[in-house]
Amino acid sequence: MADELIIETQGLTKRYGKLVAVNNLSLQVPRGAIYGFVGPNGAGKTTTMRILTTLITPTAGDAYVAGYSVVDYPREVRRAIGYMPDFFGVYDDMKVWEYLDFFAACYEIPERERAGLINDLLALVDLTHRRDDMVEKLSRGMKQRLSLARTLAHDPEVLILDEPASGLDPRARIEIRELLVEMARMGKTIFFSSHILADVAEICTHLGIIESGEIVAQGTVTEIRRQLMPAREILITLLDRIDAAKETLMHIEGVTGIHDMPDDHGRRRIRVDFTGDDEGVSQLLMALSARGIPVVNFAEETHDLETVFMRATKGIVS
Amino acid sequence: MTAPTANLSRRRRIGRWRPLTDNPVFIKEIRGRMRGARAFVVLTFYLALLGAFTGLMYLAVAESAMSVSGQTNVGEIGRTLFVSIVAIEMLLVSFIAPAFTAGAISGEREHQTFDLLRTTLLGPASFVLGKLLSSMLYVLLLLLAAVPLQSIAFFFGGVAETEVILSFVILIVTALLFSTVGVFYSARSHRTLSASVLTYASVAFFTFGLPIMVGAVLLMFGFSFNNVQSSTPQIALLYLLGALICTNPAATALMTQWVLLNQQTIGAFTYTLAGGETITLISPWIPFTALYLTLTLIFFVLAVRRVRTIEN
Repeated sequence: MADELIIETQGLTKRYGKLVAVNNLSLQVPRGAIYGFVGPNGAGKTTTMRILTTLITPTAGDAYVAGYSVVDYPREVRRAIGYMPDFFGVYDDMKVWEYLDFFAACYEIPERERAGLINDLLALVDLTHRRDDMVEKLSRGMKQRLSLARTLAHDPEVLILDEPASGLDPRARIEIRELLVEMARMGKTIFFSSHILADVAEICTHLGIIESGEIVAQGTVTEIRRQLMPAREILITLLDRIDAAKETLMHIEGVTGIHDMPDDHGRRRIRVDFTGDDEGVSQLLMALSARGIPVVNFAEETHDLETVFMRATKGIVS
Repeated sequence: MTAPTANLSRRRRIGRWRPLTDNPVFIKEIRGRMRGARAFVVLTFYLALLGAFTGLMYLAVAESAMSVSGQTNVGEIGRTLFVSIVAIEMLLVSFIAPAFTAGAISGEREHQTFDLLRTTLLGPASFVLGKLLSSMLYVLLLLLAAVPLQSIAFFFGGVAETEVILSFVILIVTALLFSTVGVFYSARSHRTLSASVLTYASVAFFTFGLPIMVGAVLLMFGFSFNNVQSSTPQIALLYLLGALICTNPAATALMTQWVLLNQQTIGAFTYTLAGGETITLISPWIPFTALYLTLTLIFFVLAVRRVRTIEN
């Protein structure tokens, strides 16, 4: 099950005249993943999502959702997905429950099942107390939660969410994030886009980085790190004998570079670029101690995704 | 990845027929339409306008009917009132009916709900039908609400039930076509404003443009019904004129009434030309209804196709 792909695109390309919005994109989203689709504004995230949701047709290539081609079987794809666009579609003259009832009906859910379903959905997104209010009276965060509830109306396998947290205040943003995790726990695959990496980093299991219509990197979060940062960086603080330390390390396999770092309160520091595994890292430390070099601190520098992202997109990020 | 092929629907899936109460768009629209004051304001305004007009007509007609003969021709008052009410109803319905539908689909685009709907399982035909019929239901309400005013004509006499029923048929058919034209332009336009402009231009063409053009041509040639000779081109011209009448709801209504009063029929009749030859004609409401229903169907299908189209 783990390796089964619920969204897969092959050579997906979308051109508008001369503008290439999506270029030969190959996405792989495993079932059950929380997949963060990250890229700067205008990178082609929304275009990709609109193809996946059967709203536009690709110029070339194909995309499969739950095993169905979006080109040949749009109806089956629609049954499998819950889509939330990057705007909230408001009907100004509807009550909260009517909004859900309307979309449930559009998904051909029989009327007798709808009342119970609406109550469950409202409870899930914590809007039970606003059931009879007009939709337009809700706050932005509430509307976004209502939108999420709507995407679940027909119990789809995949949720495709375009910038679900954009424009929300921090509190609402956290609520949405918690809801996404909750939905993943319910067994939904979540494919969502964001241009804010912090939104993505905390909850997603998989990551796809897109820039100028092309995938820069994709995989599990750990894989991405490794892919984009091939060398581990180890920061070593020494009391003394820095040259001896350098000399020792230089001859160990896997060390690709040693850089002097600025002193930290009079302590000497060096940064070692290392491509080996965990065992290799411990070997480094042992080699230093074997020669009696006074190590004060030995730590691998972990990069947050932000750094990874900035490197991946080479600063073209707007 | 293999796409399942067995008995699964391809893109062009023929919509299953479902009862109207199962159409989510229809239910949503009628709920929304009667919510708040707007629907009632429109209804009140419409009835007030119609009532005021009827009152004025009564004053004018009662005066002249009495003064001309010295003896009141009550039936004449009734008929004139009835014709006036139907005429004003036709005018109002022609312009109210498309107002509801011209924003039906472009409005969904403007509210950005169109994409949401298209990712659901709602078929394009159900969508357009829901929009169209919910508007028609309100138009039907307007027409029914005017029945008491029409009934004043009964009070004076001179109007037969047949006339009332036929006028109702003509009004409904007119409203249906104009609503569908509204839906059609709404499906094509991204903005309600342009959809409305195009719709009203079309409606104005059907109601005023065509008759004015035909009238102008007739005046130019000095054509008159009474001296139609038995020559073939003249007869052909008569048929052409008859056909043109059937494109206009007001002309159709008037001619249908004329046929009813003078030929005592709502179907086919023979007409004797000045040259003594007789030709067979048909009461205009029949070809009119057939024409308008056909056009309605065409515009409906075109609207559905436009909604179904996936953007490139």
